[in-house]
Amino acid sequence: MTALVGAAAQIALSDVSKRYETVSGAVDAVDSVSLAVKPQEFVTLLGPSGCGKSTVLGMIGGLIRPDRGRIVIDGEACTGPNPRKVALVFQDPGLFPWRTALDNVGFGLELQGVPAARRREIARGLLEPMGLRGFEQKYPRELSGGMRQRVAIARALALDTPILLMDEPFGALDEQTRLLMGEWLVGIRRRTRKTVVFVTHSLLEAITLSDRIVVMTSRPGRVKDVVEITLPYPRDLNAPEIADVRAKLWEQVREESLRAMEGNA
Amino acid sequence: MLAWQGATLAALLLVWEAAVRLGVADPLFVPAPSAVLSALGSTLGEALPRLGETLVKTLLGYALAVGLGVTAGLVIGSRRMLHQIAMPYVVALYGVPKILILPWIALIFGLSHSTGVLTAALFAVFPILLMVAAGTRDVDATLITVATSMGATRWQIARKVLLPAIVPSVLAGMRIGVVFAMLGTLLAEMFAGNRGLGFLMQRLAVAFRAPELFAATAIVSALSITVVLFLEHLNRRFGQWR
Amino acid sequence: MKVFLWRAAVLVGALGAWELVARPLNPVLYIAPSRLPSALMRMLNVPELPPLSQHLWLTLQEIAVAYALAVAAGLWLGFLLGLRRSVGRVYEPLLAALYAVPSVVWYPSLMLFFGLGPASKIAFGFLLGFFPIVLAVLAGIRQVPDHLVTVAVSMGARPGAVFTKVMLPAMASTMVGGFRAGLALSVVGVLVGEILGSRAGIGYVINYAYGLLMTPEYALLVVLVAAAVLALDGAGALLEARVKRWAG
Repeated sequence: MTALVGAAAQIALSDVSKRYETVSGAVDAVDSVSLAVKPQEFVTLLGPSGCGKSTVLGMIGGLIRPDRGRIVIDGEACTGPNPRKVALVFQDPGLFPWRTALDNVGFGLELQGVPAARRREIARGLLEPMGLRGFEQKYPRELSGGMRQRVAIARALALDTPILLMDEPFGALDEQTRLLMGEWLVGIRRRTRKTVVFVTHSLLEAITLSDRIVVMTSRPGRVKDVVEITLPYPRDLNAPEIADVRAKLWEQVREESLRAMEGNA
Repeated sequence: MLAWQGATLAALLLVWEAAVRLGVADPLFVPAPSAVLSALGSTLGEALPRLGETLVKTLLGYALAVGLGVTAGLVIGSRRMLHQIAMPYVVALYGVPKILILPWIALIFGLSHSTGVLTAALFAVFPILLMVAAGTRDVDATLITVATSMGATRWQIARKVLLPAIVPSVLAGMRIGVVFAMLGTLLAEMFAGNRGLGFLMQRLAVAFRAPELFAATAIVSALSITVVLFLEHLNRRFGQWR
Repeated sequence: MKVFLWRAAVLVGALGAWELVARPLNPVLYIAPSRLPSALMRMLNVPELPPLSQHLWLTLQEIAVAYALAVAAGLWLGFLLGLRRSVGRVYEPLLAALYAVPSVVWYPSLMLFFGLGPASKIAFGFLLGFFPIVLAVLAGIRQVPDHLVTVAVSMGARPGAVFTKVMLPAMASTMVGGFRAGLALSVVGVLVGEILGSRAGIGYVINYAYGLLMTPEYALLVVLVAAAVLALDGAGALLEARVKRWAG
């Protein structure tokens, strides 16, 4: 089943597949995934571990090359990292331990030759609304997990790309922090109006954040279903509509999770 | 991979041989590989008995170092306070070039075997001690807690928990210690002695007998590599439960 | 605080024990610490002993050249083997095999080739110091977190930028450790070379004192050289700790 293919897609995946060669044989991570993401849309890839959602994200980000199919971003074929169009955030914040928060945020700009003063200005401007004013000169080891992830997101935002890819960015955080970060991300998105492709295995996160949820099957990853959520932000988790969506999603994800567990046994 | 390594070595030997034959390298200082090869036979005759002497001294010194190093390492590693107090001194002593002590040892023990044995022990004891101490400290505290909760005495804990747990560290230290022990013996023989392979090599150098010297060097190197490879094999077979 | 007191106690106790044990024994062979200061005075004044400062200067020069060569060659080979994985995989085992050979076996050959002058000491110091540096570069490259490289690449970093902005800082503390070990070994190499056979240098003076049974002077020289080496290494340790704190 394919996700709806709109006319003005900013990100278009057509029949994308990826196979990995391992010591125990070939593994199909992703199989014939087609997807279209509209500008400023928040799309979540939801599925059990190992279903290939991170691989799909990696392919959109130009870090992994698909074996079959095409990826087109804003009309151009995707051939590698595209820091002018696409910025990535990973589960591991990946902050450079030898750089302060400020210098970490400015890293992408540094690569593009932006002068130091301007970089610092932009970085400060990004860290402040994140609640990190006063922490600019701190090193990653002096920051909590949630703070580190915010710095990583600020670093991605500094590239000022129209598209933001996020691979389970809050996966390593405790539940309370996760919920808070989710709320905060909603605010960021409203202000910056970016297109976001988000990967998670948490239903709650998907429902809270997304315009559209793409449910993926267990390995090899295919598109199982697409659920649209038209409720306004911020979403009240106690609303009955949410409960409906949640039930429906859970039924599908559960099926795939079981399949994934049995497959790995 | 072996092919690449072999090919590179062969190529180097060929270039070396050519350099000597073409007169680029003076055969008095740089003997041709062919000369070294032909000298190998006669050198083995001279070298073998001395090699035996060197080996005996190395082994004795090594045994001394292992006994001392493992015991001390265990004791220091298992007592926190002692570790904190003693460690800086051990590290400092390790950092002092031990060659400086060699004249003194030679002064006291003269040209006898003891000089070589003691120097070998001196060189080998530190790495062994340090590795065993580190390995002892790294033993999972939970294991000791479990044993203590079951009523094990200090001695029983040492024998049944610590000792088996530190086997990899001890083996690692011993592997490094062997090379150091041999280093100590050869050094002592080169500095003050009339026996052993070290002395032979010094004598060959002074007499400008380059092919024989290179042959002797090759013999010692081959021996040392063999010993280390053997120890690594032992480690793979017996020390790999981690 | 308690630990510090105990450490001081151990030092004082050791010196005291040394003094007590050495006094009644043969004064030629066993030097009590109390005899060292007078040995210092003698050494600085007596004309029999060669002028210390000249020898010291020579030794320092030998160490400097040996170490500079070790760093240059070590970095070159380390990056060659480490960055080109294919080359590294083939030749690293050869390097490891060389490491299994007691370094002193090379010295007679070096002495034959270079003679008794500074060159053989420099060559030996270079040989010894070069290994830890190569190994440190290899280890450093290996422990650069892949994820950081991925992050940089995802932001459009070219290989050059990845090398200077990610790999080098991530390798910094390991490399400083290697430089430190390399320096220590270069010093040892030069000293060994001088003691085993030379006509000048601190090692030569030590040998000279030993040869003339001027044991107090010999002991003093040992203490001084040992202290100098320890101080140098201590400075290196501080630098390493500093870099470690910065680069993580």
